[in-house]
This record gives sequence, structure tokens and C-alpha cells, in this order.
Amino acid sequence: MNFSSKLIEEAVQSFASLPGIGKKSALRIILHLLNQDTNLTEQFCDPILKMRRHIKTCKECHNLSDAETCEICINIHRDKSLICVVENIRDLMAIEDTGQYRGRYHVLGGVISPIEGVGPQDLNIETLEGRIAKGDVKEVIMAISPTIEGETTIFYISKKIKEKNIRVSTIARGVSFGGELEYADEVTLGRSIVARVPYKTNQ
Amino acid sequence: MHLKEITLTHFKNYDIQKLEAGPFLNCLTGLNGMGKTNLLDAIYYLCMCKSNFNLDRDTRQFGKEFFRVEGHFVRKNKDEKIVCKVIPGKKKVFEANDVAYKKLSEHIGLFPVVMIRPGDTSLALEGSEDRRRFLDNTLCQLDVIYLNHLITYNKILKQRNIYLKSIPYGSRPNEQLLKTYDLQLLEPAKYIQVRRREGLEELRPIFNQYYARISGGAEQVDCQYQSKVDENFEAQLEAVRMKDLQLRRTTVGIHKDDLIFKLNDYNLKKTGSQGQLKSYILSIKLAQYEYIRQHKEVKPILLLDDIFDKLDANRVRQLLELLLENDFGQIFLTDTHESRTTEIADSLERDYKKFHVEKGRIEEK
Ligand SMILES: Nc1ncnc2c1ncn2[C@@H]1O[C@H](COP(=O)(O)OP(=O)(O)OP(=O)(O)O)[C@@H](O)[C@H]1O
Ligand SMILES: [Mg+2]
Ligand SMILES: [Zn+2]
Repeated sequence: MNFSSKLIEEAVQSFASLPGIGKKSALRIILHLLNQDTNLTEQFCDPILKMRRHIKTCKECHNLSDAETCEICINIHRDKSLICVVENIRDLMAIEDTGQYRGRYHVLGGVISPIEGVGPQDLNIETLEGRIAKGDVKEVIMAISPTIEGETTIFYISKKIKEKNIRVSTIARGVSFGGELEYADEVTLGRSIVARVPYKTNQ
Repeated sequence: MHLKEITLTHFKNYDIQKLEAGPFLNCLTGLNGMGKTNLLDAIYYLCMCKSNFNLDRDTRQFGKEFFRVEGHFVRKNKDEKIVCKVIPGKKKVFEANDVAYKKLSEHIGLFPVVMIRPGDTSLALEGSEDRRRFLDNTLCQLDVIYLNHLITYNKILKQRNIYLKSIPYGSRPNEQLLKTYDLQLLEPAKYIQVRRREGLEELRPIFNQYYARISGGAEQVDCQYQSKVDENFEAQLEAVRMKDLQLRRTTVGIHKDDLIFKLNDYNLKKTGSQGQLKSYILSIKLAQYEYIRQHKEVKPILLLDDIFDKLDANRVRQLLELLLENDFGQIFLTDTHESRTTEIADSLERDYKKFHVEKGRIEEK
């Protein structure tokens, strides 16, 4: 693409660097913005900047949050005794969208995979142990993708929290997750959380 | 089962090439480096989802972006179209009748294949890895559960080894994590070991028969499965913990299994003559073929690469007679000497097809 303006070229490149947006769509967006008032572009940019500057990670569950503690963790109607462990925030959102889960979450930030340079210490496992140590938790649901690395992670965590005498369950296998949790359709996912099964290790 | 037609696109030295094969014997002749072995490899690729020789990036024709192989098989009286499209570095696509497989492991074993090639002597001469690959190649075609356990075992082992390597010197390892990996290894290891042991027990007598036939019963041969993994693999892993940490890899497990090749009670590699070695390896490969055949509803395709390299013309004729007599199914055979092959093929008094291979072009003769 040939631009007569360096300014436009740079703006197009910014948009085109986003996932799912090619150069053509980027140019369409820029031309659209140009057709509008200047302050509309400002109104467009401000929330993004503000979001980026002020977004926080919940100190309890590592969910995205506006405050120190997220909406889910401060909601007294959400069951404190139930923690659903997920790999990432997108999985958390997928489960929230089902509307079937009334407990709380814990975002691990990945799965154990030395090949990817991710060890247990790189994940939010200690904070999970900390939450459990406080004594309110009765059950931990592992909503982690059924890959070998996912299995390792579930296994590892359940060994860590074994002495604490809490129930560990996994979301029902045999349900098609469509590879990753976030792609599972809402009904299947919701049902699999309700029909979760106790986790057994051979130990 | 047999392959009716195969089309190669950008596969090694083939640009675009179609070949219509006969249901029994197919002879490919041509000078060195013309593409005979490459064609066998394309057939192997369609059956096993990988080359018998190379990585995908070396299988794609020089300077091209992708390669593709399309095969039309007849399997249990049904036409089956298998297509593979490979862009090295990207996800490999395999389709059966225009529907892509979700996992390649669903395809392995549907179209069983055995290739016999000059390089097979590495089975006796090289390290244990080649022998394990021989066992795995055989069992994976027979048992998809074995294949899945093997994939799982190897993935866990890889993670475990990378973890061992990543522990900074002088710092304490995460014992819980190692224990987790140990426990994850148990189930696949158990299954793999049982199947390997059973498999070899069945393979042994077949192998003995073939060797007696090929060698004229001159020597006593044997082939034994060796695994250091015992009933309590978990305890074994724990027992070698210090060693694993020092060497930074997993030192015990079914990834150390081996086959012991014996000739008159001695190690084949140390005492066998060239001829004995060739007969030994040929027998074990034929036994592989027969073993797979006995367990499959379809006859495997047999790919005989440079078989004359191994045996004199007389022996080859005997071998082919044996194979055809037993109604062994479809065979592809390569040779540099056209006259030699024609003579033998004619003497069999069976339908066969002959192809001439020259610089990546194949013509039916
Ligand atoms: N990726 C590739 N792209 C193009 N050509 C290739 C590729 N890989 C191998 N070749 C060529 O293929 C040829 C070898 O073909 P092949 O091994 O099938 O020969 P052959 O007919 O079996 O010979 P021989 O009788 O010596 O065994 C070589 O000329 C080699 O350069
Ligand atoms: Mg060759
Ligand atoms: Zn929170």
C-alpha cells in the first residue's frame, strides 16, 4: 500500500498490528476516523489509554480488575468456599459467560511446561495455597485443558494442597472442549462445571 | 489392500508425477539417483504420515513451499482417497476421502506398510534407538492405544528432561514436580512394556522360521526383548534421582529398552559375517511384515528398496516366489538393472507392472 502521508501510514500500521486486523481494514478505520470530528477520535482513544494505565490485577485471584480486588472477589453472593482454577483470563470469561458458576476463581497464568520455560514458580500457585491456608475453601475445581501439561499442572497442585483436606475436582472429561476451554460452547462448559468429577490421583 | 494410483507434487525430486500401480508386483528400475527410493518414500508417507528417511523440510522439493501426495487405495473393497498436504513448519494436513483427520494418530495403521531397505543393517549395527523405533513402528501400526501411550510417554519424558536441565546448578530441585512427572510416566510405561514383550514373543518364532529358510538352517538365531523397568517403576525412578539430577536426564525407563540380536548365542554385531547380518536383518523385517499381516484385516504394502543389494538374483527370486505364493499382497520393488528385474519378474508368471524412473519422471513400460 502506498500512502502519501507518513502520519496515516503510521496510524494504519498501529491498527494493523492488532490481532485480526489487516492493512485494508486498518485503512478503513483511519479514513472513518478522519471523516469525523477530532474530538470523536479523542473519545475513542481515551478509554483505551485510561484502561491501559489503570487496569489492575486482582490481588486475590489475579483476574483483571479496576480496584485492588475484583468484582467477583468482593461480591458477597459468590461462594467463598469454591475456587475454580483456570489457566488464563479468557478461560475465566468463558466460564463466567455460562452463568452457571457461583463460586470464585484463581487465574494460574498458564500451565507447567519446562519446554516453554514455565515452571511452577512462574504460575500463581503460591497465592492459591495462601488462599486455601486461610481456611474458607472447601473445594477446588480444576478447569484446566486436558493436555499433558494440563495434567501435570493439576497433578502438581493437587499434591500440594492434599494435606489441607479439601475436595479437588476436575471438570468432566469426555465433554468436548474443542481443544481449549475458551472455545467450548457455553452450554457444554456450563454443564461440565455442574457435573464436575472428584479428582483421583494414583497416590 | 492395495494402492491404485498415486500423485506426487513437489515431493523430493518429483515435480508433478502420477503413477498407476498394479495390485501385485510393481517394479521400478532406473539409474542411481533418479528417484526410485523417493517414490517408495512417498507411498510410505501416505501410510505413516512421515518420511522413512527425512524431515518434512527435506522432503519438500528444493525451492518449493509445500509438497502434496494423493493416493487412491482399495481397502476392503472400498475406494479410499488419502491426501496429505504439507507446508514444513505448519500443521500437517491429512485427509481421508476429503475429510481432514483431527489427529494424525487416527490414520496410522489403517494402511499398514513395511519398507525393507539397505539402511536396515543399522538395526544391528547402531544404537538401541533404531531397534526401539523398529518395535514402535510395528506396534503403532497394530495398536492405536500403544501409539497414544507412546506419544504421551515421550512428551512427559521430554518435559521431565528439560526440567532437569533447567535446574540451576547448586539450587534445590522441585521434588514435587519430579514426583508428578514420575507418576505420569507410570501408566504409559506399563502399557508400552507389556505390548513390546508380547509383540516380541510373537515375532520371534516367525523370525526364526524366516531365518532358517533364508540361511538354509545353518545357524541358531534369537532375538530378545530387554527392559530394565520392573514391577515398581516408581521406586526405580526414585532410586536414580541423584543420578538423574547429576546427568540432567532421565536414566531409567522404557526409553532405554533394547532388542538383543543373537546368532548361535553370540552377539550378532560382534560375531556375525556380512552375509549372516544381511540374512538376519532381512528375516526380521519379513517377520515384521508377517506379524503385522497376521494381526490386520488388510495386507500391508511391502516396499522393497534395492533388494538386490542384499541378495543375489537367485535368492531374490526365491523370496518373491515365497511372497507371491503366500498371497502377500502388493509389492513395490526397486532395482538399478532393468534386465535383471524383468527376468525375475517374468519367471514368476504373475501379472506385474514395470516402470522406468529417470530424473524425477516415471514411465510405465
Ligand atoms: N528435497 C529434494 N528436492 C529435490 N530433489 C531431491 C530432494 N531430496 C532428494 N532429491 C534428489 O533425489 C535424488 C535421489 O533420489 P532417490 O534416492 O530416489 O534415488 P534412487 O533412484 O533410489 O537411486 P539409487 O539407485 O542410488 O538408490 C537425488 O538426485 C537427490 O538430489
Ligand atoms: Mg534408492
Ligand atoms: Zn479477584
